[in-house]
Amino acid sequence: MSVLETNRVSKQYPGTLALDEVSVSFEGGKIHALVGKNGSGKSTLVNIFSGAVPASGGTVLLNGSPISFKNPAEAQQNGIATVYQELSLVPGLTVAENILIGRMPMKGPMVDWKKTRKIAQELLEELGIDISPNDVVSDLTVWQCQMVEIAKAMSFDPKVLQLDEPTSSLAQNEVESLFRIIRKLREKDVIVLYITHKLQELWQIADTCTVLRDGKLIGTEQISELSRRQLIGMMFGDVEVKTRPEDLRYGEDVVLKVEHLSDGHRFTDVSFELHKGEVLGIAGMLGSGRTELLNCIFGAQKAAGGAIWLHGEEIKDPNPEMMNRKGVAMTQEDRKRLGVNLDARISDNLCYASLQRLGKGIMVDRAKEKQYVARQVADLGIKVADVNYLVSSLSGGNQQKVVVGNWLNIEPTVMLFDEPSRGIDVNAKQQIFQIIWDQARKGISSIMVSSELEELIEVCHRILILRNGVIERTVLPQDVSIEDLYAISMGE
Amino acid sequence: MTSSKKLSIGNIVKNYTLEIILVALAIILTFVTPHFLTLNNLMNILRNISLQGVVAFGMTIVIVCGELDLSLSSSIALTGVLIGLIGGKLDAAGIMPLQYGVLVGIAAAFVVCTCVGLINGWLITRFRIPAMIVTLAMQNILYGIAAIISNGFPVITFPAWYSFIGSGRIFGIVPVPVIILAVVFAITAFVLSYTKFGRATFACGGNAEAARLSGINVKRTKIISMVIVQLCCVVSGIMLSSQVMSGTFSFARGWEMNAISSVIIGGASIAGGIGKMRGTLLGIIFLGILLNGMTLLNVNDYIQYVVRGCLIIFAVLLSTLKNKK
Ligand SMILES: Nc1ncnc2c1ncn2[C@@H]1O[C@H](COP(=O)(O)OP(=O)(O)OP(=O)(O)O)[C@@H](O)[C@H]1O
Ligand SMILES: [Mg+2]
Repeated sequence: MSVLETNRVSKQYPGTLALDEVSVSFEGGKIHALVGKNGSGKSTLVNIFSGAVPASGGTVLLNGSPISFKNPAEAQQNGIATVYQELSLVPGLTVAENILIGRMPMKGPMVDWKKTRKIAQELLEELGIDISPNDVVSDLTVWQCQMVEIAKAMSFDPKVLQLDEPTSSLAQNEVESLFRIIRKLREKDVIVLYITHKLQELWQIADTCTVLRDGKLIGTEQISELSRRQLIGMMFGDVEVKTRPEDLRYGEDVVLKVEHLSDGHRFTDVSFELHKGEVLGIAGMLGSGRTELLNCIFGAQKAAGGAIWLHGEEIKDPNPEMMNRKGVAMTQEDRKRLGVNLDARISDNLCYASLQRLGKGIMVDRAKEKQYVARQVADLGIKVADVNYLVSSLSGGNQQKVVVGNWLNIEPTVMLFDEPSRGIDVNAKQQIFQIIWDQARKGISSIMVSSELEELIEVCHRILILRNGVIERTVLPQDVSIEDLYAISMGE
Repeated sequence: MTSSKKLSIGNIVKNYTLEIILVALAIILTFVTPHFLTLNNLMNILRNISLQGVVAFGMTIVIVCGELDLSLSSSIALTGVLIGLIGGKLDAAGIMPLQYGVLVGIAAAFVVCTCVGLINGWLITRFRIPAMIVTLAMQNILYGIAAIISNGFPVITFPAWYSFIGSGRIFGIVPVPVIILAVVFAITAFVLSYTKFGRATFACGGNAEAARLSGINVKRTKIISMVIVQLCCVVSGIMLSSQVMSGTFSFARGWEMNAISSVIIGGASIAGGIGKMRGTLLGIIFLGILLNGMTLLNVNDYIQYVVRGCLIIFAVLLSTLKNKK
């Protein structure tokens, strides 16, 4: 039986001790969950195993012998395959090229394209992933990219498979097929490390559960002997996880009205009204046109037909700059590509949307900027060593909070959230919901798209179900069960 | 918490690499040639870097914004030609004496180059043509126009006072161009770090699509940056024509390369989103001292070209390696 062990592994980043003498061992043939709040060091541990970052102290042992890889390629050759938290495919290449990058079959000096495609095709089919190997990655959606990453990792026939939040952008049915793939690995003595913030998944897929908090190992437990409450206690210490308040009502006034909107491609003839202080959910499977719908309202992409009314005024030809001025905010789903500027500081990233509000005239009012930054860091509990560090030094979940904070700084009247809780821990998720509710109480309306339907049921006043680009039904959360919601969105 | 701010030798070397190389270069030159460390020569270096330095500052804003401007050498030459021609023509037609006529010429140069910047920016943002292509084409167009309007001859109708801008010295020591360099540095550095436009510039260069989706007007930001660099060209063109009291269409050839290399040597990323005005200032001083040293050591002109070319490749290499990790 294979074993992956660490012996007092530490990782010091500037300003942060990301791992503090962690000693843990993972056995083959089991699925090991790795959980902890945002910034607790999960990705750091995975990155040390995969050779992406060096440890600053301690040793890693695979089957008793010390390993230390200089780069991810070397780790892959030695059987450690990793699906990273942030997507890392090359956008300009095809799916087949991405899967076999750096090791394409050759015919003499030339790449054997036919064979490349065939290998990729077989792999995708075996895993039951319905994507053509000839598709160019830049045309794929986030969840399709995610599946390609998984296929790529599997193609190494790994001894250790590390999955860093693989399901953060997948919906129920993709998650099911991923789980099927992972379960098969149990029989092959593969060591599977699995990171997730969707805690309910743990009881479906994991055997053991290892909890990190602020870089320290809290403990490893058999998942079957652990309750959700105990787990949350291990993750956060003593916190009170908030639930939906009782006093949420919404007004009569229509804030946003959408009539017969279509983008000519993904969704058609969508009409609905959003009331003052209302939280409206949009449920739907991936590819149902949810992101496109929000994008058209926000003017990030052109609508093909229909009308949008904001506060009773018809909006012609919207664009993000104009909607920002009118107090409409939208957080993007694809954080790395569309949400943040990784080259810039955390403080800059928190003030992009509110740039024009940072003082009068052409100058940036530094005092105001500082105040805006500090407000979001405190309200959202962003774990930062220093707001002058680059945003790329934040953990994935904390980057997501920056995306949300950037928009909250404009003090919006309507907020459009595309997967706002992607990759953030249970507690931070509640903080964001809390903010949505607090805003709702102040009369601010929100639309929220999420693949996690239970989330919609918890947060929203009303849920639209989008299927194949049309509104299938409008439901109230108290009237449906999660199962019903899934069934309607899937068309069963 | 404070471990990052520790004053270790390693950190100092990492943060002040360019300064250290600069000092080392100066020390070496002081020892190998007696002419280097003289007040006269140092002022000379400063005067020489002023003309190109001014455009390098403008170029920093453009590069941070994720674009490039290769047309600036022609704009610099065109400025000199325009000023001399308009001054001369007004004088000849008896409308205005030459002293004042060149002022009209200067105003005209500002208007023309602003338009050039607007057109460059418009073509880049509206049709998504790469800046490299648009501005290279513009370089040829302006070069041709400057040659046509001057019939291919140097224009030499400048009043006597005009030479003060390029050759005058304040208190008999500090060359006027150095003062102008300092002023342009202060303005551009201020724009980049303290204004909303400056923030937007970094956002557009770092991730243009994310900037757009945050409600930043990416097109306007890019166009303004293309105009700013052209305004810097006019300032540089005035100094250049004043120094030689002539406007010639073939002046300033290849200056865009010097501007780009000083920006990159100064630590900016050629991909956009990263850069500092202070870095560019060090970059042009470095380049100025290097060229001055080679001249003092009688290094052949053509070898200087080779050295300069290698330097650009080296600097870009360094910056890509540094910004990749
Ligand atoms: N390059 C870096 N420079 C400085 N600090 C870093 C860097 N990378 C990570 N960190 C810090 O290390 C800590 C652990 O980060 P890590 O990415 O391992 O968290 P995580 O547990 O994966 O969180 P999440 O659930 O949000 O993905 C965080 O506080 C983060 O800010
Ligand atoms: Mg992580």
